[in-house]
Amino acid sequence: MNENLFTPFSTPTILNQPATIPIILFPATLVLTSKHPINNRLATIQQNLIQLTLKQMMMTHNAKGQTWSLMLTSLITFIAMTNLLGLLPYSFTPTTQLSMNLAMAIPLWAGTVMVGLRFKTKNSLAHLLPQGTPTPLIPMLVVIETISLLIQPVALAVRLTANITAGHLLMHLIGNAALALSTANFSLTLLTSTLLTLLTILEIAVALIQAYVFTLLVSLYLHNNT
Amino acid sequence: MPQLDTSTWFTTIMTMLPTLYLITQLKLLNTNHYQPPPTKNSNLQSHGIRWQPKWTKTCLPLSQPQQS
Repeated sequence: MNENLFTPFSTPTILNQPATIPIILFPATLVLTSKHPINNRLATIQQNLIQLTLKQMMMTHNAKGQTWSLMLTSLITFIAMTNLLGLLPYSFTPTTQLSMNLAMAIPLWAGTVMVGLRFKTKNSLAHLLPQGTPTPLIPMLVVIETISLLIQPVALAVRLTANITAGHLLMHLIGNAALALSTANFSLTLLTSTLLTLLTILEIAVALIQAYVFTLLVSLYLHNNT
Repeated sequence: MPQLDTSTWFTTIMTMLPTLYLITQLKLLNTNHYQPPPTKNSNLQSHGIRWQPKWTKTCLPLSQPQQS
């Protein structure tokens, strides 16, 4: 039972070749680029959405933080597209892989820390000690703040992985339950199917929200350090 | 848990890196955000015409009494 439940999350292979490579590359092909001033509706919608998120995200940063705008916009686009495509049945979601989320979180977090240490050394180190702490508590608090700093990339990666994995798992379980119930007791099937519909709507929201949260936190770490 | 099987980690990470840092960023760089075209100011005089006061004097004789 355990193995059957988790098989959607193992990396797919086609004829023993890794299929993750085209699967990860695919959402990037859905970003439409066009040189025309006036595009068709889909391209215009997409472009306006990207412009909207760009402006919302980068408003709070100063000029130095805004050099990261391309990175953060591509991050939120990538994660949102990947998560949304993963809601299709029988699809593989790369963001359920801890490897990918760690590889996204650690370099970005390390980048924000290094930017802070390089350009505003005193300020970024001062973040390690909250204001107004009584003097005897200072050594312990520095240790605690350092640990909470070092845990940020791990938290980013595990948060994304766990949320998307849990959502998909729940949908699988409830779908299987609805299917098994359809032969036994039909009225319960309707109830379970309603639950499944609501869960799917939740999952769409979760897909978008997780992308947002990831990017927002990276942006926050950047803000603290520029 | 199949996510902890590290044999596939290399492939996944190596595919994600160019996708995120290269392809998506290049695609976003190549979208042109056009500003709405600015309305043309039609009051601009062409710089060749310089107004000579005697023309004003000719048209409005009562408004320029000091010029002759």
